[in-house]
Formats: sequence, structure tokens, C-alpha cells
Amino acid sequence: MNSSDAATTRRRRFDELVGVFHQDMYRYAAWLSRDRNVAEDVVQESLLRAWKSLDALRDDAAAKHWLLTIVRRENARYFERRRLETVDVDDLTPSQEALLADQPDHELDDVRDAIYRLDDDYREPLVLQVLMGYSTNEIGELMGLRQGAVLTRLHRARHKLRDALNNGTASDQSET
Amino acid sequence: MNCEDYRQAIAAEPSYDGGEAHLSACADCRAFRDEMRTLDGRIGRALAISVPELRLPDLPDIDSANVVPLAGRPRFTMPAWLAVAAMLMLAAFVGLRMVGSNVSYPSLTDEIVAHLDHEPYALRVTDEPVDARRLARVVPATVAAMNHDAGLITYAQTCVIHGKKVPHLVIQGARGPVTILLLPDEAVESAVQIEGESINGIILPVGNGSVAIIGERDEELGKIQQNVLNSVTWST
Repeated sequence: MNSSDAATTRRRRFDELVGVFHQDMYRYAAWLSRDRNVAEDVVQESLLRAWKSLDALRDDAAAKHWLLTIVRRENARYFERRRLETVDVDDLTPSQEALLADQPDHELDDVRDAIYRLDDDYREPLVLQVLMGYSTNEIGELMGLRQGAVLTRLHRARHKLRDALNNGTASDQSET
Repeated sequence: MNCEDYRQAIAAEPSYDGGEAHLSACADCRAFRDEMRTLDGRIGRALAISVPELRLPDLPDIDSANVVPLAGRPRFTMPAWLAVAAMLMLAAFVGLRMVGSNVSYPSLTDEIVAHLDHEPYALRVTDEPVDARRLARVVPATVAAMNHDAGLITYAQTCVIHGKKVPHLVIQGARGPVTILLLPDEAVESAVQIEGESINGIILPVGNGSVAIIGERDEELGKIQQNVLNSVTWST
């Protein structure tokens, strides 16, 4: 295979993987950062990093985990670079509000608001489990947690959401 | 198991299907389970926000000199001597496949055969069934309904074939592991035989999609084909 063929094959492989997993990358970034604009920046940086590192991915079956790991690192880098303060949920920017206002639906608005207000420690494993279909082992691997800690965070996250929704307000997210 | 244990388990993982003895005697926990599962459906819908159209950044030309490899993440741990032995066996396995690659494969077949070599660790002989929850994640109800007639499923993984996520399963045949790829979006007009030095298989048309079944060279696939076809119904 000459270098031109190799480059074409490499590009095709990248396009296929990104085509399949772009939605997962964006949604993960959006719920990590809680901001649509930040999510777009993080995904752009992640795609660039994935492109440069593609040859390190030996097994396409592991592509989703690989790409989400890159998104997670890029999100952390983004906030470190910008030294952003924790989002004040009562003082949202337009792009933060855009996340909550996505496809307005009265039934889902409350749930989305409650998820938005969850601490990162609870929101992230919930997103990985429910949206990405990760097992608790896989969540632990990605987040660097033991399985017991993952299980604890998941059950606390759901209890917090349940309490918030049953109380008609998503503002009470204190530790239980 | 008591109520607290059960509720912790179901709140951590609403698909949890253990604790049946407790559940059958506790109406409150049954109600809690149903509530958690309903809540999970709402969480899933709330998280599935709309995604803007893919916009790729400017991708620089890459050559081998400026590729930055990431640190490898081992898929599993094993003693060094076993890793070396496995690598030698894998090299011999792939080499045999290449020696036998005098068959002209159409594109889908080519990708399927390449995929077999891509995940050789799936092809282990075992009588340990894959975890039911993992199987449910890999073959979600939105893709296919699958009953237990297919055989002993020992491996389940979501893989990418032709740019689409598909369930990759392995069942245990008489001669060794048999790979099953459920391809709901890959239509074939008629059955496509796959023959190689060390494998034989077939891609069968099923509804608007197809199912690929590949086993060892001397594996009798007829019965397995029938079992798989009887056990799979597309949901789309």
C-alpha cells in the first residue's frame, strides 16, 4: 500500500468512527460542561486530538471508550485553560440555557433541569450509564473509581433526581 | 436481601434483575423498581439532547513521523509469559488466515472477515455465558428481539461494521467459537458463502438486513444457522 492509499484508508477510518460516535461525543461533552458552546469547542479539540492519535487505536471496537476518554480529558483541559468558575445555576449564560431549553417538553424540562443541577460527581456516571450504555465497571475505568463508588454515586444520583422531581423543585441537591 | 439492599441495587442499576425472591414478597420494592425504571426512561430522554451537524476541524496531514501514540490501555491483564504465547498464537492465526485469503470477497464480507482478526480474544472456548445485562445492552430492544434459542452466547460487544454499530456475538459451536454479527441495515440479495483456509461462514438475508455466521473450517453451521434465525427478530 503506497502512502496515498494509506492516507486515504486512514481518513476513511477516521470518518467512519467519527460518523458513528459524534453524537455520543457531543452529548457527553455537553453534559460534562453543561454548556453547548463549550461542548462544541471540546468536541473540536477532541476530534483534532483523535485524528493525530488515530494510529494508537488498535481496536475499533474500543473506539467509543477511546473517544469519550479524549473528550473527558479535553473538557478538563478546557476548564483548566479558562480557569472557569463552577457554573452558578441561577445565573446562566445563553449557551448554558440553550442546553436546558433543548426541544422544550414540559415533562422533560424538569428532569433536564434536575440533571443539570446535579454535582459533576453524580451527573457524569449517570450520563455514562443511561446515555452511553456503560456498565458500572466501564464507568469506574473511565472515571478512575472503584465499582462500589460508582454504584454509590449512581444510586445517590437517582435519589437526588427523584427527590427533586417529587418536590417539584430541582434546587435541592444537597448530599444525602 | 432486604428492602434497603434491593433499593440500593435497583437505584444504582435499574436493569438489575436479581433479588427475585425478595421482590416476589415485597410490593413496596416492586413499586420502587417500577418507579426507578420509569424515571430512567425520563432521564434517558432528557439526556438525549439534539446534536449539531458534524463540523470537522482542519485536519493536518499525518505521517508516521509525527504520530503521537497514546499510552495503550490493556484490555485485560495476564502474566507476561502468557501474553507472549498469546501474541505468537495470534500471529500464527492471522498468518494462516492471510495464506488462505485466495478467495475474492465482496466488500461486506471482506470487512467481516477482517473484523474476526480484529477481535481474536472473542474467540475463546468457554462455557461461561455472557452477562444477561451486557447482552441486553449489546442487543437492545430497538435493534432486535433475541431469545435464548441461538445457543450459549459467550461474548457480546457492540462493533462497527460499514460505519454502523452492530451487535457482535459469539456462541459455542461443536468445533469452537462461532461468530454472529447482526446486521439489521445490511441487506444482501441472497446468501453469501464465506470460505477461507481456517473459516467457513455465511451471510444470510434476514428481512431488510442480514446475519453473518462464521465458524471454524469444519464447523457444521446448518443447525446453528437455523437456531440463530429462529431466535432473532428485527425491531426496525
